[in-house]
Amino acid sequence: MDGHGTPAAGMKVLITLLKAELAHGILGLRLFMACVAIAAGMLGLVWLMGTGLSEAMRDNATRILGGDVAVTVVNAPLDRGTLEALDRIGRTSNVVELRSTAHAGSSPGSSRLTVELKAVDDAYPLYGSVALESGAAISDALAVRDGLAGAVVEADVLTRLNLVIGDVIRIGDTQFQIRDQMTREPDRLSAGTFLVGPRVLVSLKALEATGLAGRGSLVEYRTRVRFPEDTAIEQAIRAVADEEPDRGWEIQSPEQAAERVREVMDRTTTFLGVAGLAAFAVGLTGAWAAVSMWIGRRRRTIAQYRLSGATTSTVVVLHAVLVAVAGVLALVLGVGLAAAGAVILLGNLTERLHLLWSPADMAPTVMLVTLTLALGLAGASVAALSGVANLSPLRAMRDGETGTRLQPRTAWGAGLCVIAAAGLAILGLPNPSMAALAAAGLALVAGILVLLGDGIARVGRHLPARRFLALTIKQGLMSPGPVMLRTLALGIGITGITGVVATQQSLQTAFETQIPEKAPDLVLLDVQPSQVDLIRATVSETPALDGLQATPFMRTRILAVNGVPAEQALVNPEKDWVIEGDRSFSWTAEPTGAELVAGEWWPANYDGPPLVSAEEDVMQAFDLKPGDTLRYSVLGRVFTSTVANIRKEYHRTMRPEFLVVASPQPFRDAPHGWIVSLQGLDAESLSTFVADLTRSAPNVTVVDVRRLVRDAAEVVEGAILGTLLIAAVLLLAGALSLSATIVADVDARRREAVALSVVGATRREIALARLAETAMTGLVAALAGGAAGMVASFWITTAALRVDWTPGLSAVLLPIGLGVITSIAAGLSGGLGALPRGRGQLMRLLAG
Amino acid sequence: MNHARPPVVDLTQVTLAYPSPDGDVPVLNGVDLTIDTGEIVAITGPSGSGKSSLIAIIGGLEPISEGTAHVLGLDLALQNERARTLLRRRDIGIVFQAYHLVPSMTALQNAALPLILAGEDGAEAKATEMLTRVGLGHRLGHRPSALSGGEQQRVAVARAFAARPRLVLADEPTGNLDQQTGAVVIETMFDLARSSGTALILVTHDPALAARCDRTLKIETGRVVP
Repeated sequence: MDGHGTPAAGMKVLITLLKAELAHGILGLRLFMACVAIAAGMLGLVWLMGTGLSEAMRDNATRILGGDVAVTVVNAPLDRGTLEALDRIGRTSNVVELRSTAHAGSSPGSSRLTVELKAVDDAYPLYGSVALESGAAISDALAVRDGLAGAVVEADVLTRLNLVIGDVIRIGDTQFQIRDQMTREPDRLSAGTFLVGPRVLVSLKALEATGLAGRGSLVEYRTRVRFPEDTAIEQAIRAVADEEPDRGWEIQSPEQAAERVREVMDRTTTFLGVAGLAAFAVGLTGAWAAVSMWIGRRRRTIAQYRLSGATTSTVVVLHAVLVAVAGVLALVLGVGLAAAGAVILLGNLTERLHLLWSPADMAPTVMLVTLTLALGLAGASVAALSGVANLSPLRAMRDGETGTRLQPRTAWGAGLCVIAAAGLAILGLPNPSMAALAAAGLALVAGILVLLGDGIARVGRHLPARRFLALTIKQGLMSPGPVMLRTLALGIGITGITGVVATQQSLQTAFETQIPEKAPDLVLLDVQPSQVDLIRATVSETPALDGLQATPFMRTRILAVNGVPAEQALVNPEKDWVIEGDRSFSWTAEPTGAELVAGEWWPANYDGPPLVSAEEDVMQAFDLKPGDTLRYSVLGRVFTSTVANIRKEYHRTMRPEFLVVASPQPFRDAPHGWIVSLQGLDAESLSTFVADLTRSAPNVTVVDVRRLVRDAAEVVEGAILGTLLIAAVLLLAGALSLSATIVADVDARRREAVALSVVGATRREIALARLAETAMTGLVAALAGGAAGMVASFWITTAALRVDWTPGLSAVLLPIGLGVITSIAAGLSGGLGALPRGRGQLMRLLAG
Repeated sequence: MNHARPPVVDLTQVTLAYPSPDGDVPVLNGVDLTIDTGEIVAITGPSGSGKSSLIAIIGGLEPISEGTAHVLGLDLALQNERARTLLRRRDIGIVFQAYHLVPSMTALQNAALPLILAGEDGAEAKATEMLTRVGLGHRLGHRPSALSGGEQQRVAVARAFAARPRLVLADEPTGNLDQQTGAVVIETMFDLARSSGTALILVTHDPALAARCDRTLKIETGRVVP
């Protein structure tokens, strides 16, 4: 420190200098601040969102499941003996879920709505609580009053049926009085993601009176168990499983609750995590380039300080403090915006998902994000500030190039800070193993880019220099430091942007394929065999109705393959969903029309032991071949069948598609429902058809697929918009980072351009030389960065997101475009822009 | 003096004003000046009198506001920036107090630049000869940061004379140098100008140096005074 040698005096000098510098402002660091703010905002938002969602899911796990363990069966309830056995293990609650139609009022011609009906017992919920708008208790709301059972409904029921609290709805043969509006259902996510209507909650006793849960209906029976506090949970779950080993039921622990929701969330948060990491890398590189640029611009000021007697440490500390002030301001702005965004988005999302969440839960993550970014910035700034320490005042005043080479100790310090920050980010971001691999990939790419930069400098040194263009290119390329910095900053930016855009394109394609290409207008559920012929007759008599397909619809659970339990027989873990829960099942005498991958259909008159047709996903899950055997449960019974063929379904028709289809016997005569789909030429004919059907077959649930498709399209468009916004923010971060390198270059080359102009080089010649020089780094960075981005996106898309890699033409052209644009921008601004045009400005530069 | 050839520089009522928020600030105010081939002219005057601006106008680095400026037969007001730059490349060498060498290039490359730009063969050989003449034959491969102030200025002198220009402009070329080093630089410039018949316009505060020139012009508040 300076002053009279004492620390206090040195501090006084430093404060005086700082006051003078801060009075002048820190606008010179605005590019740095923009890079930091964007990196902080983007990393902060994805980190807070990812962590918030994961923690909300974890904290709500038992509420989502509704117990410490849940047993689900379809079609038929558990045996009384099993229920009693479960009662002995812990406190139980029984819930029944099915789809049905709710009618406004009691008259047959009233408006109707497909609803997700849920009947609960008095013990419900074992964990959490149902939130009703009036604040009343759920048991009171569902109780029988004046001979009418109570129901609580989601707001959508009231809006779409134009009802108010106190009005009556009819479900099946029973009338319910709407007692309250439900704002939170603690176990909502356990119902899965495909809900065709709003929720209606009634009591279990009232459901029995409706007659809807009769044999053949698609009904899910869930029994949740809450264990006493000191229960050994794993043992208890095993005991539950042993009750009916061949029942084909689904036993879930809290960790397995809402598996499908978790999958969607994991996919989303993984994309967010990788985008955040890319923004972090691009932002830090931009921040490093921007501080390097700022220091390069202050070369002479720094030299003046040094020549005026300031020690190296004083000058370094002075600049470090200035960078820190700018960094803290940008960090506060970025993290603040991220936190505000996360509060709004998480609040909205958790409310929609019926999860308990408080903004206060974010506090530790906000601190961790800030610490991570501060560490990363410290690393980037230390690397850039080493230019202050290494600056030779004499060389700076003589226009010599100042040292940008990092001293080993500084490099280690900067490296450790960045590694620590990256480590924290990896641990904090969703899917740490994925983030670690992505970070390792980015580090590898950075290393390759540095080597390529060094290679360009080596090539530059050996270029012949007989012509002006060649000479200036050679001079521009031969210093390894700046060339490596440019190649690295540009390459990392292009890698991140290409990777995220290519991934976004693939996700967008995947999302778009969720919208069916050809969908029926109506799907009718729980149609009894006797009602199918009636519907067929109606449709054939009505010219405006068409495209009827009627198929038996049951649920199955695959238990074993070739005698090996399904869990052990699984060879493709990505297809584990085929054994998770109950899957669609049907029987048919005729071929379904699906493409056959292997094997043959059974003859139309086949009535031997059941044969099955497995969907391609089952084949991939177990490496299944025709001739293998499947053991599966249907309607509470267990069957073993030989696989006759493998089918391929395309999943984009919204017509019923089945994982397993069996030959007719013995299912043809078993009590089960049918699923019917049809199309209508106009809305009026469909309305008339539904009104007639509701009167003649009140048990049938009508699903308006047109509305579902509209809803799905809205969700998909929202998701696409979200990923596009993320890609756009990253593009902005990349653009800022790239401008930092361009501006740094222009600045460094201004004096050179002036000198060249003095000896008679035209603006065009200077620009052309600079363009050729920047094109070299631009091309190499674009090719290497683009290739790395594409490889990264392929890996993220196929390994983590598990969707097809469809980067699209834009992602292929993007790196080339970015490289070209950056090269042209750097070339033109470093050539045409380096020489001032205003009257008297060149003179000022020439005066020294 | 040889009046058979047209003058190298012929300025008539030249004015130069820089814009400012408070209106134009006049720098040169009706300057008349004629310089012939091979003539060595000193321009003196107090700081801020417009000496450097006059050099910038003659060198085509700054367009005039009013009047006419003919340099080597060209009316500068009618030339665009490219034409003025090409004129500088072919026929004008400039030496500044602040050297203005390209930092990343060696002494040899800096000195050879005008020749390389003109596309001349043997640019490096000619530049080597010129650097040897200014006493830097042993410093060809050094970059500016490795050279002393005097050496950098001698590289700038070699660069200015390398393409055998018809006019060299020197704006306080010894302003950053000690007396002895300055003298060496001036001797070199005089020697090169005399031997090649190049006109030399020298801005200086040094009366002794001005006295060694063929003629001295004094500028005060933007005007040439007797």
